[in-house]
Amino acid sequence: MSAAVLRTAAPILADRRRRPIGLAIAGAVALLVVLVLGVAAGSVAVAPGDTLGILLQRILGLPVPTTWTPAAETIVVDLRLPRVLTAMVVGLGLAVAGVTFQGLLRNPLADPYVLGTASGAALGAAIAVILPVRTLVLEFGLLHGLAFLGALGAVFVVYRLSRVSGLSPLTSLLLTGYAVGSLLAAGLAMAMYVSGAGLRQIFAYLLGGFDAASWLRLATAAPLILGASIFIAVRARALNGLLLGEETAAHLGVDVRRERAILLGLGSLVTAAAVAVSGLIGFVGLVVPHVVRLLVGPNARLVLPLSALFGAILMVLADLAARLLGEIPVGVVTAVVGAPFFLVLLRRARAGYEL
Amino acid sequence: MRHPSNLRAWLLPVIFLIAACGTSGGTFANVPTGTPAPSASPTATVAATPGPVTLTDDEGTTVVIAEEPQKIVSLTPAATETLFAIGAGDRVVAKVQDITPYPPEADDLPVVATFDGTDVEKIVALEADLVIAGGLGFTKPDVVTQLRGLDIPVVVVYASDLDTALADIELIGQAAWAADEAATLTADMRADLDELAALTTDLPKPRVFYEIDTFNAIYTTPDDFVAAELLRLAGSEPITTDASYVISLEKLVAADPEIILLGDTASGATAELVAARPGWDGMTAVVNGDIFPVDDVVITRPGPRLVDGLRALITAIHPDVVLPAR
Repeated sequence: MSAAVLRTAAPILADRRRRPIGLAIAGAVALLVVLVLGVAAGSVAVAPGDTLGILLQRILGLPVPTTWTPAAETIVVDLRLPRVLTAMVVGLGLAVAGVTFQGLLRNPLADPYVLGTASGAALGAAIAVILPVRTLVLEFGLLHGLAFLGALGAVFVVYRLSRVSGLSPLTSLLLTGYAVGSLLAAGLAMAMYVSGAGLRQIFAYLLGGFDAASWLRLATAAPLILGASIFIAVRARALNGLLLGEETAAHLGVDVRRERAILLGLGSLVTAAAVAVSGLIGFVGLVVPHVVRLLVGPNARLVLPLSALFGAILMVLADLAARLLGEIPVGVVTAVVGAPFFLVLLRRARAGYEL
Repeated sequence: MRHPSNLRAWLLPVIFLIAACGTSGGTFANVPTGTPAPSASPTATVAATPGPVTLTDDEGTTVVIAEEPQKIVSLTPAATETLFAIGAGDRVVAKVQDITPYPPEADDLPVVATFDGTDVEKIVALEADLVIAGGLGFTKPDVVTQLRGLDIPVVVVYASDLDTALADIELIGQAAWAADEAATLTADMRADLDELAALTTDLPKPRVFYEIDTFNAIYTTPDDFVAAELLRLAGSEPITTDASYVISLEKLVAADPEIILLGDTASGATAELVAARPGWDGMTAVVNGDIFPVDDVVITRPGPRLVDGLRALITAIHPDVVLPAR
């Protein structure tokens, strides 16, 4: 199937103007393929026919005869499907947030974690592990709650502190983000040091993963991530304007300060929800936007939706690899797969690639 | 219930009440509901179905076990030992990885969890109807949430001291619908521990350092941990630390142990290596050569073999004491 898709897609991909359409079609097909692959694979073998039957019967409501055990159905419907969909949503969110932060800060090294979200979330999670409090709201524990608040809180503090600096807004944001991030990282190190038996839990969070996915968690996080991502996509024009520099953006009629604050808030919301669900998974938010830009150019109207698509695909594949390799951390897979792929693309990139 | 037993159906509620009056603390808020408490009439001819067991686990979660569990998954090594010790071993279908496995009957059980994580898919595929999980993050809290979300009863246990270790055995017993066997086991254990402790009450109490590990820091037992309690019962004054399990070399030197017990021989510790460590050579135990290996599993694992742990400690600390036959 994929060969046929490639044959159809190749001429379209060769034509630079039609390339985005080809990429979108190829991406949509790939997304479907990885969805099925992701649901079919796992530590317990469920026959491919049964997997398909369960999906058709339970999701599409088709009258497929039941040839499988209830346990197989639970595994496919309640464990694997929410897991794959969560990976998709988180991958989508991190890629969109990556595009947003790179454009906003006009910095190719920016990623969703650059303004302190990662350290804030990690510190929040670590504190939750140390606190002898157990709560469970919508299947989310204190860890997820504090990680979410920590991520948002860190960005808020960075934003407020950066406003009082005399430096240019972008430089100030980046440097403040770095400083606050370092401070929070020190707090995290201290929390890990005193956590005793909780260290494993903190470590597991730092490495990230989707093994704890459930429908309820997905239903809570997905509206946040997807909603904020759509709001970002709607503001693609403002993001394009900001990419050209503040003065040009202002000439184009973009309210620079307002748009920057809104995009920063939305990007942070997406990131915070993603890290609360899945822990800290690196590289997707950094690499996917660059890959897409190398393919279709810097227009945010194209880069945002295509990054969302490829972020989702990459994350499901990474999670699949992580599962097949015996539940290794997803973050390791995203880096191992993403880095060489990115290097190849950089080698083949035309001169003059810019954000 | 697959094998209804009339006698047991009548006995269970009674045993629960006995257990509830036990000395081991407040985890037993569980009188089975649904069955009226029977009078002691042995004339039952109709198979009375005992009601669902409702219990409170060590995290304070109320767990309802509606039917006698037939497919139990044990996610802590101590729970595996306990389930086999109370005669529920034939109903255990999977276990956590155990690098010092016990009992041998559990050797062939499929492993569904390791130090790194738990395979929820496999637990579901085994159609587990009871999971005993470890608290304090030993089993990832997310896993517990996930299993409970799939309507699999999960009982979370974590024992810090001797009382909670015994209470956990009784709790696991109730969860596995083998409360009477568990109560018998803990009563025997209490009697054995008391008998052994009595042997050392009048003996001098040497300062003992129990070494859990020395990988990048010196680890020993916290003051309220089960190993510290056993060391006291064994007639010694343990050198302990706080909940971090870490003790500084300075504090250890200042405490000057008279006996050093090596619970980490599995990771290569020997008396010679200890004596050669910089800074350790002045300790009384090192000067006198009183450094002995002990079996750390029976001393630190809060399971049914804690009596063996106490015996091992007494033998190491007071070698002249004659232990009663087992």
